[in-house]
Amino acid sequence: MSTEKGRAIITTESLCRYYGKGETEVRALDNISVSVEAGEFTAIIGPSGSGKTTLLHLIGGLDNPTKGSVHLSGVNIANMSGSQLSDFRRDHIGFIFQAYNLIPVLSAEENIEYIMLLQGINAKKRKEKVEEMLVKVGLENLGGRRPAELSGGQQQRVAIARAMASQPDIILADEPTANLDSKTGVSLLELMRELNQEQNMTFVFSTHDMKIMERATRLIHIEDGKIVKDERK
Amino acid sequence: MLLFKLAFRNIFRQKRRSLLTVLSMAGGYILCALSFSTTEGSYKNLINLFTLDHTGHIQIHKENYLRRPKIYTNIKDIESISQMLDRRPDIVSHTLRVYAPVLAYSDLGNTPAKLIGIDVDREQTLSRLKEKIKSGSYLSVNMHNSDYSTALIGRGIAETLNLTIGGELVLISQGADGSVANDIFIVQGIVGNKNSKDKSNIFIPLEAAQSFLSMQGRVHEIAIQVDSPDSARKVSISLQEALPELTVSPWQVVEETFYKSMQSDKEGNRVGLLIVVFIIFIGVLNTVLMSVLERTREFGVLKAIGSRPSKIAQLIMLETSLLATISSGIGFVISVPIIAWFTYVGIELEKPIDVGGFMFSHMTGELSTYVLGTPIMIIIGFSFLVSIYPGIKAASIAPTEAMRSH
Repeated sequence: MSTEKGRAIITTESLCRYYGKGETEVRALDNISVSVEAGEFTAIIGPSGSGKTTLLHLIGGLDNPTKGSVHLSGVNIANMSGSQLSDFRRDHIGFIFQAYNLIPVLSAEENIEYIMLLQGINAKKRKEKVEEMLVKVGLENLGGRRPAELSGGQQQRVAIARAMASQPDIILADEPTANLDSKTGVSLLELMRELNQEQNMTFVFSTHDMKIMERATRLIHIEDGKIVKDERK
Repeated sequence: MLLFKLAFRNIFRQKRRSLLTVLSMAGGYILCALSFSTTEGSYKNLINLFTLDHTGHIQIHKENYLRRPKIYTNIKDIESISQMLDRRPDIVSHTLRVYAPVLAYSDLGNTPAKLIGIDVDREQTLSRLKEKIKSGSYLSVNMHNSDYSTALIGRGIAETLNLTIGGELVLISQGADGSVANDIFIVQGIVGNKNSKDKSNIFIPLEAAQSFLSMQGRVHEIAIQVDSPDSARKVSISLQEALPELTVSPWQVVEETFYKSMQSDKEGNRVGLLIVVFIIFIGVLNTVLMSVLERTREFGVLKAIGSRPSKIAQLIMLETSLLATISSGIGFVISVPIIAWFTYVGIELEKPIDVGGFMFSHMTGELSTYVLGTPIMIIIGFSFLVSIYPGIKAASIAPTEAMRSH
């Protein structure tokens, strides 16, 4: 899959996600057509309930659209089976969640290693990669700790390392700084921006956070499930 | 390895619940192992009782003799067969027998009886006849001082005919040549008690029986002892090939009624045990389902980051199998000393139980791979079965819905 800069890596066409039927139908996303280029640091912004997370979930193949299509580097993920989607997410998409969502019984390094295990990478290479990622996110001495023994910021760093360990084309982050204090949030954003620039990795955030908005290269405004503004800086 | 580590750590997340689950499964193991040990041990004792009492492990007859015993249905050429049996390394011993219905007389009256002609020396290597003599002594091939042959009689006959050691017993029967057979025998010993299987039997030396019944050089039965009752079938198949004109039957065929009732009793025990184990595993299923419900969010995350649904199901099955393995280990450690004591020491029954004429006075278990290994397979097999549904449930969790849960 190509990640050549300037090339569209995410394309949605007439993407709709409705919940319920008839009078109780809620249009979480309505006719969203958007394209994200490789290497972009994009923020999807909008008020609560506007459809930001739904859009991220559809792009990430975590949910199925009611109508429309999602193409990631030319591959339509809307038609994939459960296992195909799992494999696709494993190899091409990294997720960072608001609540970190690390596996509580695994240490920081095991959390990072897990996704590489799913990819079938051998133990030696996994170990090397884990060490490299821990250095990158500044947790080289804390690899043996379990999530409960780490601060929120440290857990989110582990989550970033986990998302990047599989060397995905796209990283989708759902309100990644919402649970962090301002200083930790800024430091994490700096880290993600660095990784974005160094490795030309495509980042798409859903956020309310002004600090992310300031650093984003593109802002997509959503309201009531529709794109109301799309600005590149 | 990481998946194994993940499964192993997950089972220690809810220590108390896991402990209770392990204890219930270990209880299931112990119950199965003790039940198998008791059943196998008891039946092994019973099989030994009757095979070493008289039947032997294998019997050779002329065709159809077992179904319709007739004096004329006898085996010839016993010399060469006997030599062949002596040469075989898989045969411990064998003996020759002649049977006939007789009418036994004394001064007091008469009674029907079963005459058994035995090879005096060989019979001792196969059956416990000598040990069952309650008064008098074992047979001798030599004639009694009175020139009459000696006989051992069952307690029932002794009481009916008021016979004691040294008393004269008159037997009347039909010879194999159609003549009337009659002769006098001297009581040499009295066998068993009035309830035992031998109560109506009269044992005389083989040569005397052959002469009495006019069937010299012929017998009705060759009883064989092998190294264990379990190898009887195998040896009898091989013997049948060597003796195609005769019928070779293992003890399972000779004592068909007992064997079938033993098998059905064992089946009944197994069904009862399976019901108990099933109830235990309903509890285990509940535990696994609770664990899946509590970790819904986590499974959603695992799926979101790329775990295939099958991998999630595999994780649940691995966790349950690990619990079952730990439980089996605990059950094994607890069961071994109990079963070992039961096997090597056992329980002496206050009142012996009469099982089809065999007196059963000492109850022992069995310590074997079957007794200790089968419960492991049952526990792990059941745990695998009960983990299928929770595994499918966890695998089918939608990531977006799972991550909304807490």
